[in-house]
Amino acid sequence: MTIANPAPALIAAPALGRRVWRVVRLNLVNKWTVIWIPAMIMLFIGLVNWLIWWIIWAAAAPADRADAVDGTQWNGGAFYIFVYMLVVAVQVITGTFPFALGYSTTRRDFALGSGLTFLMLAAGYAVGFTLLSAIEEWTNGWGLGGHLFTSVYFDGESLGGRLFTVFATMLFFFAVGAFSAALFMRWRMNGILAAGAVFILLVVGAIALITLTQSWPAVGDWFAANGPFGVSAWLLLPTAVAAIAGYAVLGRATPRS
Amino acid sequence: MIDEGKPIFVQIAEQIEDDIIDGVYPAETQVPSTNEFAAFYRINPATAGKGVNLLVDDGILYKKRGIGMFVSDGARERLVAKRRDAFSDEYLRPLLAEAAKLGIGAEQLTRMIQTAADERPATPQIQTTPTASPSKGVSA
Amino acid sequence: MSAAPAPTSIAPAVQVSGLTKRFGSFTAIDDVSVTMKPGRIHGLLGRNGAGKTTLMQLITGQDFATQGDIHVFGEKPTENPRVLQNICFIKESQRYPEDFQPKHVLRSAPWFFENWDAEYAEQLVDEFRLPLNRRIKKLSRGQLSAIGVIVGLASRAPLTFFDEPYLGLDAVARQLFYDRLLEDFSEHPRTVVLSTHLIDEVANLLEHVIVIDQGRILMDEDAETLRTSATTVVGPRGAVDEFVRARDVLHRDGVGGLASVTVAGLSASDRSRAAAAGLELAPVSLQQLIVRRTDVRETGIEQTA
Repeated sequence: MTIANPAPALIAAPALGRRVWRVVRLNLVNKWTVIWIPAMIMLFIGLVNWLIWWIIWAAAAPADRADAVDGTQWNGGAFYIFVYMLVVAVQVITGTFPFALGYSTTRRDFALGSGLTFLMLAAGYAVGFTLLSAIEEWTNGWGLGGHLFTSVYFDGESLGGRLFTVFATMLFFFAVGAFSAALFMRWRMNGILAAGAVFILLVVGAIALITLTQSWPAVGDWFAANGPFGVSAWLLLPTAVAAIAGYAVLGRATPRS
Repeated sequence: MIDEGKPIFVQIAEQIEDDIIDGVYPAETQVPSTNEFAAFYRINPATAGKGVNLLVDDGILYKKRGIGMFVSDGARERLVAKRRDAFSDEYLRPLLAEAAKLGIGAEQLTRMIQTAADERPATPQIQTTPTASPSKGVSA
Repeated sequence: MSAAPAPTSIAPAVQVSGLTKRFGSFTAIDDVSVTMKPGRIHGLLGRNGAGKTTLMQLITGQDFATQGDIHVFGEKPTENPRVLQNICFIKESQRYPEDFQPKHVLRSAPWFFENWDAEYAEQLVDEFRLPLNRRIKKLSRGQLSAIGVIVGLASRAPLTFFDEPYLGLDAVARQLFYDRLLEDFSEHPRTVVLSTHLIDEVANLLEHVIVIDQGRILMDEDAETLRTSATTVVGPRGAVDEFVRARDVLHRDGVGGLASVTVAGLSASDRSRAAAAGLELAPVSLQQLIVRRTDVRETGIEQTA
């Protein structure tokens, strides 16, 4: 019997689509991080808000009730949901990146797959959010005239407009989270600190500039003119920038801590 | 069972030779596959294969395509002859060296051999499985 | 006695030349060149911190070289899906996503490894007693290693790296791993690279031995050749000294009138001579060989009789 040391038959790499899709599946394997926990948080925020409305409603005299609850239209509660998207993005990238590399994925496939994952998640959440806002309208503020999903920030928009606004905003927060996580993967704490410092300087610089040129009214006008739909459309720009930058940063990140 | 003295594949070959001489594998019967040897001795299959190949090259084993390795006709006789030739070098010389160390003369040695031979059972036991067959102790 | 393996025209699985990796001022891999032929079990041996993990991370594209060339199956591995599709790298420091359980690992592995054998994986889960529904954070070190071992074996990837995957595994589990590895390797040949500092346990499994020390290749040989490359001669001092005169001495030891000297390779006739001279020949294990080599480099002093 001759010893064949047969070179084992090599496996051909699947097409790009399949490779990207399996990263999406990997990101979604553990539903808790990306679906159940965000949903629970949304529910919790909703519940807390509803309780607060109930307190307001119960405490106000019947005649003043409508007025009192009216103030909730400036409710920023929904904001926390968006910010949590940032957290989810960080968790997904920092958790799955070293693991995906362990499964012999390329960084490119991982970046594309994660990007697609966030697009899908943003779309899904946006649909859910919009549905809830429709129900909120239909139930007249959950029976108490409260506004959470229909706060003034989404006011006057059609359902489609609301859907887009929410989708674009969530995508923005995903992108920022993903970019921060990519920075961490590549340069660890130093990267985060450096980026944070740069960001703060930019913000302070911008504030200084606007203040010195007395352009605050102009800024306010711009927001008013564009409305929620326009502003979130503009957000797509920094989103794209963050995504591309994240892709570039991840390109030479290693799983080692 | 495997010691580090001789190359492992040589030890594998010698173990199979022992088993053939002991009658565990009569002529034209099949010996275990290389993978089975590898698993049993916990060694790399390539090493086990090398040992088997030694015996193929010596004409002790031959391969039946698609089935496995078989003991050649007359293998046992050839092995016995080979061992007889090596007997003096492998056993007698060390025996004589040790005897000399202990001051045992040739005559006394002959008498001791005769006594020990009389005490031995008539024919060697035939073992039925390789595991049961006592390894002849791979010499250093 | 021509026990030659398959023709040498088979392209190597891994070819590394002039590889260097620096982390700041620290040189982890220093001008390393090594070739690994396909279809064999290669051992990457060395002390802790010698550079075994770094070398494997470079070969699998998980880290980037400072200098030098790496070719896996004829192509560069970095960001190369054609090459990476055929690699499974099991490292002992593998981090898993938050809240992952072994069942998530076993569910997702088949998507990435075309040759995955789910039945085999299940059988291994039973044998290693891996709890599928417990959070990975809560697993013992041994159970964590078991996941790696199971994925590495069941993936049947043409090139599989095991980087000290048995930390925390008790002796029974380790033996189980070696047995399963050998068994599966026999039935489904592939290229396996095993790194460890438990040399004696794996010595008989290896075909090719690579010893790395402080980022440099110390030894790169056939396991068989290495195993018989040295012998220890034991006996009365005078006789031993006489026998080892004009030989390559690797190590001397002794107590009282007894000397134990390790010399480089002895032929069959040498062995008979030694036996005739009443000397005993003792084997030198792979571990002893490697320890002696790495120690001598450090101390630079040979014991003399």
